[in-house]
Amino acid sequence: MYDILFWFFSIAMLVCGLLVIANRNPVASALFLVLLFVFLAGLFVLLEAFFIAAIQVLVYAGAIMVLFLFVIMLLDIKASERRKFRALGVVGGIAVAVAFVWELVIILTRPLKPLATGGDELSGGLEQVVKPLFANYMLPFEVTALLLLVAMIGVVLLSKRELK
Amino acid sequence: MTPVPYFDVLKGLGAEVILTLTALVALTLDLASVRRAEMSVRSRTIGTTAVVGLLASTLPLWQQLNGPRMVLLGGTLAMDDLIIFFKLVIVALAVITVLISMDFDVGRHVGEYYAVLLFGAVGMMLLISAEELITIFVALELTSVSLYILTAFHKGELRSQEAAVKYFMFGAISSAFLLFGLSYVFGVTGATGLQAIQDAVKNTGGLAMSPLLATGLLFTIVGFGFKVAVVPFHLWAPDAYEGAPTPVTAYIATGSKVASFFILLKVLFIGFAGLQGSAFWGNFASGWTMLLAVTATLSMILGNCAAIVQHNVKRLLAYSSIAQAGYIFIGLVAATKMGANSVLFYIIVYALANLGAFGVVAALSSRAGGDEMQNFDGMARRAPFLSLLMLIFVLSLAGIPPLGGFFGKFYLFASAVQRDAQHFGLLWLVILGIVMSAVSLYYYLILLKHIYVIDGSDQSPIITPTYLNVALGLVALAVVALGVYPKPILELLNNFSYSVIAGLVR
Repeated sequence: MYDILFWFFSIAMLVCGLLVIANRNPVASALFLVLLFVFLAGLFVLLEAFFIAAIQVLVYAGAIMVLFLFVIMLLDIKASERRKFRALGVVGGIAVAVAFVWELVIILTRPLKPLATGGDELSGGLEQVVKPLFANYMLPFEVTALLLLVAMIGVVLLSKRELK
Repeated sequence: MTPVPYFDVLKGLGAEVILTLTALVALTLDLASVRRAEMSVRSRTIGTTAVVGLLASTLPLWQQLNGPRMVLLGGTLAMDDLIIFFKLVIVALAVITVLISMDFDVGRHVGEYYAVLLFGAVGMMLLISAEELITIFVALELTSVSLYILTAFHKGELRSQEAAVKYFMFGAISSAFLLFGLSYVFGVTGATGLQAIQDAVKNTGGLAMSPLLATGLLFTIVGFGFKVAVVPFHLWAPDAYEGAPTPVTAYIATGSKVASFFILLKVLFIGFAGLQGSAFWGNFASGWTMLLAVTATLSMILGNCAAIVQHNVKRLLAYSSIAQAGYIFIGLVAATKMGANSVLFYIIVYALANLGAFGVVAALSSRAGGDEMQNFDGMARRAPFLSLLMLIFVLSLAGIPPLGGFFGKFYLFASAVQRDAQHFGLLWLVILGIVMSAVSLYYYLILLKHIYVIDGSDQSPIITPTYLNVALGLVALAVVALGVYPKPILELLNNFSYSVIAGLVR
């Protein structure tokens, strides 16, 4: 049962990911991204990380994607035209893709050691997330607040229309 | 669970807290009291506030000096003398940058400018004291985001906007690379602290056993490669350097470089100790020294050759700093204690000379009407003092004795030669470095020719404010002093760097 669900969620995620890129209509792309996040949440549930799964749906699928859609609608982006491909881009892209697949094959054909962390840490309720956040990882958590402040200053500053 | 040492963390972050508060004060002060005043008054007031805050932030640092090495919260905050010394270097660079900015037209949003500049300094200081991947990433982002914003500060100018967008795009992608690499490293080792990663790497059996770790290492180095602008990850640098307001360029090229190189050194020498492989001629083995040797080779060749054809002084200095990053990588490739010392020494010398050079460009170009080479024609007559300083900075970058740049380069190359001295394993890299230094002399001298030999059409003298002359003069003095009498600082680094490279094999 676990395996079936794992493969279902993974393949569904990959298909959605492909559709996000392949779709020419931005709104459809965004909606497939929402679907992708939902399937990803499913994977988290399989890992028994229920809190992260819930947050995934709430924050990404809920809040962030709605914002995305708003931006798309406000900017009124039309379906993008069929683009001309440049030879260099195609060749380069294929070369990089081949290199990646080659590397993946090398990695996947070797026996992988289990993660050093072990299995029991995979269970993730609220407690497992919050404890590190307020203990060992307190500092980066706080610095993120500073980062957001700087980003906010930047956005206000750069998007403000200059008064003559 | 052991109690979290919140109070120790707060004490360790004294300087950062002061800087953050100063940044907020600068924001409010601009908004509340001097908004209606004249531009020059505003710039002076807020700039002085920033300088005072920066100087005040050194007080807790002096107090922590000579203390024991402390690692808090699994490495998110480490404190030892080396770290404190480099935080002081960052403060010094930021003070000079503020002084250069006070003389420069940074647009109407003065408060925001200095506040973001200070936030950038906070990011750099946090970066220097971090020995844990998540903190490293967040601090790096804080630094980068501040610099993106500063780059775009000339809102009316298309050049500045274009530079900022390019810098932002490349920076965002590089962050993605870095995060991807770090997540692999975490996945394989199960640890985010550098020391813990080192231990875990030894247990997992290194690169041969774990291809995932190799992928993580590669992506991490690609991510950092973008940040320190080495070939082939350099494309953003010339445009960003040229388009950004010149004081900001100085800040990008010095403060952020120092912090990035320092943390790269720590990630490689502590976290990835045991994965260095080998870059010895005829005896290559996969590992980070090999990767760095390749990027160093490309950076030295492309950086120096591309600099020759530049007509814009800021672009020229941008390509020169790409080449300089290549030299610095030689010290990292050596992967010894001497290599670490030489890198630390050279980034200080490089930062001072580059800061000075961009400072002079900022002061002169705003009065001469542009930063093309022609604008600097006959500058030796118009501004003799600043021209002399420029001579010192540029020759130091070129590596002419007795200036700091010569000794720094010598030390870098010596550390590489000494590694595997019987077989001259790294000699190929050193020879390339020396040849390319000779090439670099050509374009540095072209710049000096414009300043000293060619006569310009405009002969009117250029007057610059005294505080700026004094500040840049002090920087030049430091560059000369580091070349003539480098012993104290070398001894200092030698005593310090025990902690950084304790984990390195050999």
